Amino acid sequence: MKEPKIIVCAKQIPDPEAPFSNVSVNVEKKEVVVDAPDVISPYDENALEAAIRIKEEVGGKITVLSMGRKVSDTVLRKTVAAGADALILLEDAAFERLDSRSIAFVLSSAIKKIGEYDLILTGRQAGDWDSGQVGLILAELLGIPSISLARSIKIKDDSVVVEKLVPVGYEVVEAELPALVTVSNEVGELRYVARTKMMALLRRPISIPKWGTKQLELSVEALNPVQLMELCPPPDMRRECVFIEGASSDEKAGKLAAVFKELR
Amino acid sequence: MGPERELFWKIGPGWLFYALAALAVGLLLVGTAAHLQLWMKSSLKGKVAFSREALKQTLSDVFLGLRVLKGEVAAGIMHALIFWGFLVLTIGTAILLVHEHLSSFLVGTSHLAFEVAMEIGGLILLGGILWALVRRYVQRVPRLERRLEDALVPLWLLVVVGSGFILEGIRLASQKPEWANWSFVGAWAAGFISPGIAESSYPYLWWGHALLSLGFVAVIPFTKLFHILGAPAAYYLHHSSEVSIKASLFSRDLAQAPVNEDEVAPETGEAALDFAETPLNLADIAFYDACMRCGRCVQVCPSAGAGEAFAPRDFIQATIRALWKEHSRVGDIRLFTKDQVIDPKVPWHCTTCAACLEVCPVYGAAFEAVSKKRTTLILEGTGVPDLMNQTLERLFNYENPWVSSKREKAAWTKDLDIPALTKDGKEVDFCYFVGCTTSIDARTQAIAKSFSSILKHAGVSFGVLGEKEPCCGDIARVVGEVGLFEEKKMNCLDLFSRYDIKEVVTSSPHCFHAFLNEYPEKNFGVRHYSLVLKELIGQGRIRFKTNGKRTAVTYHDPCYLGRHNRIFEEPREVIRSIPGIQLVEMDHHGADSLCCGAGGGRMWQGKELDGEARMSEIRVREARATGAELLITACPLCLIMLEDALKTLGFEKELRAMDLNELVLSSLELAGNNLM
Ligand code: SF4
Ligand code: SF4
Repeated sequence: MKEPKIIVCAKQIPDPEAPFSNVSVNVEKKEVVVDAPDVISPYDENALEAAIRIKEEVGGKITVLSMGRKVSDTVLRKTVAAGADALILLEDAAFERLDSRSIAFVLSSAIKKIGEYDLILTGRQAGDWDSGQVGLILAELLGIPSISLARSIKIKDDSVVVEKLVPVGYEVVEAELPALVTVSNEVGELRYVARTKMMALLRRPISIPKWGTKQLELSVEALNPVQLMELCPPPDMRRECVFIEGASSDEKAGKLAAVFKELR
Repeated sequence: MGPERELFWKIGPGWLFYALAALAVGLLLVGTAAHLQLWMKSSLKGKVAFSREALKQTLSDVFLGLRVLKGEVAAGIMHALIFWGFLVLTIGTAILLVHEHLSSFLVGTSHLAFEVAMEIGGLILLGGILWALVRRYVQRVPRLERRLEDALVPLWLLVVVGSGFILEGIRLASQKPEWANWSFVGAWAAGFISPGIAESSYPYLWWGHALLSLGFVAVIPFTKLFHILGAPAAYYLHHSSEVSIKASLFSRDLAQAPVNEDEVAPETGEAALDFAETPLNLADIAFYDACMRCGRCVQVCPSAGAGEAFAPRDFIQATIRALWKEHSRVGDIRLFTKDQVIDPKVPWHCTTCAACLEVCPVYGAAFEAVSKKRTTLILEGTGVPDLMNQTLERLFNYENPWVSSKREKAAWTKDLDIPALTKDGKEVDFCYFVGCTTSIDARTQAIAKSFSSILKHAGVSFGVLGEKEPCCGDIARVVGEVGLFEEKKMNCLDLFSRYDIKEVVTSSPHCFHAFLNEYPEKNFGVRHYSLVLKELIGQGRIRFKTNGKRTAVTYHDPCYLGRHNRIFEEPREVIRSIPGIQLVEMDHHGADSLCCGAGGGRMWQGKELDGEARMSEIRVREARATGAELLITACPLCLIMLEDALKTLGFEKELRAMDLNELVLSSLELAGNNLM
């Protein structure tokens, strides 16, 4: 078959692995404040890795699409350093905090604008809100088949063969191209991108198109922000460990009983 | 006729012999040229400067054989016998040729002296070979391999020497010269030979001996015998390039290695170990090529010792094999070599403990080879273990390899009144560079706390950088992420210069090593805390309480304090100066110390690479065998590893792991100090 054109949707999010002390929840504003550098959502990195491996095996071209109110090309250039061929940023003030359907809608418009594609890969869910909906809605909007939770993806002739995770083990599912696959971490982590490579890439001028509502000819009314009903901080998980000292087991038991009484 | 030897007695015209000799020397030269071509092709371009000093050291290495003798007296003597025997016979044969064709000076007494020298040369060579065979096949010294080549080479030499003696015997038996007894071995052999048989068999034996001897010369470049030429070259390159024990783990050119701008994503097969892609310098290749598989590195390697799937010798062999296949125009010319299957995880085992360099007869720093391989893997991106991938990402984003944030780097100072350095604050004696692990890890924070208390006790003015303290980048360096290391280095240099820091004292030998040896552009002094403690004690600024109780302690040398930077004595002096403390040494100590298993990024690799035993557990068992109550170390990583091993082995009750600072603090003359 001809070399596949692959589109990978990658979301930029605050590092979900950020140390706990860098994360706080503002209950009034219904906001999670993460003081951490932005990264590419881990499952989307898995999707990119899957795409690069396909490219290594059968050739092809990988385009990364990333969308947000503000997307940083220093974060997203990592995708190019890792092996993607092109990067398109979907950036607009109106793209902030959209619900899954609206995000899928924007992405579908961008993909239609790109025109030609064989395979779309997304992460199984985003590392910030974990909704896991955009991929499947996107397939629906594009009218193409979709397979979720892939642990391995292979291109065979004009179809994609996916090992899809099920609660016990996996099943092998095949779909005709073009198709959309959402990728799980079992595929493997995105290959390491060395700093020298990254720095060389940052210095190199590459054209990164930025598309907003105007370029995509979208009306802002069609986009719905997410309605957050309530946001609560995680329960306090701090634990304390106290060793009860005592000369005899009786004494220790007595002290332990006293602690229990107090806690009751 | 006085005492003399007729060279071509009964052999007729010598031209055939010389033709064959020319062929042998030709093969030797062609083979050697192939080695040299490989060296040039595989290394970064660079000049080898002539250095008298390096030449002197090389000659002493070659002729004294101390590198071979070091720590292995039996092997050293065995090698010396073969070396000197071989040398005497080679020189003797050359002299004989001069005598035959240029000037006949070997007559009379000088001939007799010559004969005696050749007898002795032959005998010690014989002794050396027999001993070598016994070591390998009877004693079965574990570090020695028993491949076909390993048997063939000594047996060949054995036949050459043996046939030489027999030939001489035959000659003496039939010529019966009156000076025969000077050739005492030959004369003894002659006693078994009847003159008739002797004369008829002589020509055949002579040719046999000649062919075997010439053949032996010819195969030098094609077998492990190449070390005869390769080792001296490796010595010279080692000495002249100052690849000393404090060597940088990677060549600096590499950090700035231009990334091919058009090809940011090199096409690489799945985790293929492409050894040939690693940039090397001449000294590296010379050592790989001179490696004669002696296995000393395997014997001392803590990773191999713990039963992990790694042996430095095999790594070096795989590397040189790949270089031959990739870079030699004629392929691998060495006989008896074959491809070895190497697990892609192999380069991640090495802890960079430098034990191999300590013992390798050709100054082989296997860890540098490993590190260079890691650099290639990092650039390719695919062969990096997931845990290391994540660690490096964290190091980049949060200035530390732990799951913690930079802002937690000052947490340990809470309620302690530790002076923080400011940009234009007051002058202090030094900046105490606490380091990532010591400031973040709950156990090792005790190092920082106790060191600060000691400093206060001694009235030293110091300050810490707290939340602003960057990472020295050493972890990135040892795992081959040279770009990230350079970034961290720039970061540190920039901060130090903004804060006008002139003196730095570190908790960790790793930060210490990086600042001292890997920051060539630095303009600040750096010491490890153990040096400061020693100095303060020397100045009488630390007062110990007198202690009636005697406590036996043992000391574990951190690799980057000891082997890499030769600080063996200072921490011991600190320990010895404490009243009531008795230092008992473990079997492996000082330059022979055993690594705790945390170096080379292993601290952050999880258990994935572990073998049958854990390196730290092996170390702790040795510590327990000393009967000491306390296991003292001077590195936060060692402390974590050793303490952990004490727990997993259930030894905590008998043996406690402690940092040197904790020991000193608990022995100070302070009010209410009865920590011990
Ligand atoms: S540095 Fe240490 S761990 Fe690495 S190969 Fe040498 S002996 Fe083994
Ligand atoms: S690297 Fe050095 S110590 Fe190891 S086998 Fe080779 S020559 Fe011996």
